[in-house]
Amino acid sequence: MEGDEEMARKNGNFIGIKPIFYTLGFELKKQRKKFYFFLFIAILVAILVGYILQLIPGFLLSVTQAEFYENGLQFISFLTLFAACLFFSGIICSEFDKKTGFIVFPKINKYKLILGKYLGNLILVVIIVTAFYLMLALFGFYYYGGPINIRLFYSYAVALLYVIALSSFVTFFSSFMRSVNLTIISTLIILLIGFNIADQIVTLVFGDTFEPLYSLAYLGSLITGILQSPFPDPRYVEFSFSGSGMGPFGGGGEFTFGQWITPTITMGLLLLVVNIVFFFLLAALKFKRRQL
Amino acid sequence: MTEVILKLENLTKKFGNFTAVNTINLEVCRGETIGLVGPNGAGKTTTIKMIAKILRPNSGRILIRTNHNELEDLQHVSTTIFQIGFLIDIPNFYNMTAYQLLKYFAKLQNYPKDKLEERIDELLALFKLSDWKHENVKTFSKGMTQKLGIIQAIIHDPEIIILDEPQTGLDPLARVEIRKYIRELQSLGKTVFVASHMLYEISEVCDKIALINFGEIIGFDTVEKLALTLKSSELDCELLEPLRPDKLEPILNRLTDTLEPYLDQNLDPNISKIPIKYRPELQGFQIFYDGNIESKGEILKILVKEFESDFTVTSFAQPKTSQLERVYAEMVENNETKTNGGG
Repeated sequence: MEGDEEMARKNGNFIGIKPIFYTLGFELKKQRKKFYFFLFIAILVAILVGYILQLIPGFLLSVTQAEFYENGLQFISFLTLFAACLFFSGIICSEFDKKTGFIVFPKINKYKLILGKYLGNLILVVIIVTAFYLMLALFGFYYYGGPINIRLFYSYAVALLYVIALSSFVTFFSSFMRSVNLTIISTLIILLIGFNIADQIVTLVFGDTFEPLYSLAYLGSLITGILQSPFPDPRYVEFSFSGSGMGPFGGGGEFTFGQWITPTITMGLLLLVVNIVFFFLLAALKFKRRQL
Repeated sequence: MTEVILKLENLTKKFGNFTAVNTINLEVCRGETIGLVGPNGAGKTTTIKMIAKILRPNSGRILIRTNHNELEDLQHVSTTIFQIGFLIDIPNFYNMTAYQLLKYFAKLQNYPKDKLEERIDELLALFKLSDWKHENVKTFSKGMTQKLGIIQAIIHDPEIIILDEPQTGLDPLARVEIRKYIRELQSLGKTVFVASHMLYEISEVCDKIALINFGEIIGFDTVEKLALTLKSSELDCELLEPLRPDKLEPILNRLTDTLEPYLDQNLDPNISKIPIKYRPELQGFQIFYDGNIESKGEILKILVKEFESDFTVTSFAQPKTSQLERVYAEMVENNETKTNGGG
C-alpha cells in the first residue's frame, strides 16, 4: 500500500501545473515540422520584402524607417492568420475527430490538456512572428541605421495581441467543428474573405457613420496603423477617381470609395482583449459540453 | 472475503431519449478479471467511458477504493488517473514515435522519472515492439497499434486495467498474444476489466462475466455458474478415431437409448433437434444433457465402459464458448420477454 507521502505526491501532480508543462513540451515536439515550415516562410518573406525588393531597379526605398516597417508589415496579417488557422485549428477538435481523446482524457484533466496544447502552439506562433519582426528590424537598421523606431515594438505588441485574438477565434471554432480540415477551411474563409467582404459592404452602406469594429481583420490593421506618425486622423478616408466611357454604369463619371484605415489605439486594444475573452469563454463552454 | 475495488451503483446514462446504460450494478474485487460481454451497442463502451470520466452519468455513481482504503465516489477522486489504466475503443495516437508517446503518457501519470526509461523498454520488449521504439506510430500495423494501446494503459503500473475490445480487428495470432498479456496481468495480481463482444476471448481469460444487453446487466457470475442457469448443457466428446459411416447409425441409436435418462428431453429446437449428434469436424459427439453434474459423470462412465469396443474417448468437456453463447442467448430472450411484459 502506498504511503501518504506518495499519495500527496500524486495528488500534487494532478492538482498542480506539471501536466500542463508536460503537454506543452510534447506539443512543441509534435508541431515542430509545421513550425520549421512557417519559420522558413516568415524568414523568406522578410528577406523578400526587406531586402530583395529593394534590389529591384526603380524600386524606391521608403523615406523613413517607420514607413519601411509599415510596408514590410503588410504581410504580417497574412502570416499570423495562416499560422493561427493551421496551428490552433486542431487544438480541441482533433481529440474528437481523431479520437485521440480516448487515450489522453483519462490521463489528464481535459482543460489542462487543452491549455498545455494551446500554450505550446502559441509559443511557436509567437516565435514565427518574432522572427519576422526581428528580420525586418535588422533590415531597417541596415538601411536607416539606429536606433530602431520605438513604434516597431508597439506594433510587435499589437501583433502578439492580434495573434492571441486570432487563436481564440480559431480555438472557438475548433471546439465545435467536426474535423481539423473543416476548421482550417472555415476559419480561413471567414478571416481572409468573410470579414473583408463584410467590411466593404458596411463601408459602402454606412460610410463613415459605422466603423467595422466587429471585424478581426479591421482590428488587425492597427499593427501597421500604429507605425504611422502622426497617427492617422481622420481614420476614414475617401478616394475619388473618375472614369470615362466604360464601366458598369455606362458613361463614366466620378466615383468615391471610402475606407476605414485603422481603429484608435485604445479601441483596437480593448476590442482585441474583448474578442480574446469572448471567444475563449465560448470555446470553454462548447468544450465542456462536447462528448467523445 | 475479497475486497471490492470498483463498484458501479445504479449507473445510468441517457443520450436524449435513448438509454445507453440502465441502472447497472456491478462489483469488481481486487485481483479479479471481469468480462463485460454484449453485442455492439449494448452499453459496454459507454460504461467504460463513464469509469474513465469521459462521460458523466445521468444518475448513479461509480465508487473506487482509494488509498485511504475507502470506497469513494469517482467524481470526487483525482487518483483514478494513477489507479486505473484505460484502453478505450481502437486506439488512435498522435503522429509521434512510440517512445515519445509512452514517455509523455508516463509523465502525465506521474511515473517516477528515474524508472521511466526502464519501464518503457521493459514493456516494449514484453510486447515485442522494441525494434519499433523510435518509429512513428503511423507506420504501425493494426496489431502493433493495439499492443501500444495496451502498453499505454499499463505504463504507469495501475491497479486496475480496463480494456475495451482489446482484440478487435486483430488476426488470430495477435488475439492469442493479447490473451497471453491479459493472463500476465492477472499473474501480477492486477484487476482486469475487459469489455468485448467476442465470447470466446472473454471466456478464456475472465474469472467472472457480466452479460449486458440494451444497457442492462442480465447476468453476472463465473461461466460455470452462469451455465447452471441453462435449461440444458452441452458436452463435446472427442474420439480417438473417426466412426465408420456404416457403424454410425447403430451407435447413435444405442447411445440415445442408453443415455436417455440423462439427456435433455425438452431441447430447444433452435439449439438442436436431436440430443446427440455426431460431428465429423470434431471427430466426436455433441451431447445435450440435462445439466446435472451427476448426469455428466454418468454419461462419461457409460461412454467409456459400455462403448469401449466401439470407440475410445480422448476428450470430454463442456465447451465454454458455446455455453456462454447459449447463456447469453437465453438471458437476452428472458430479458426481452420480461421487458415486453410476457412470461
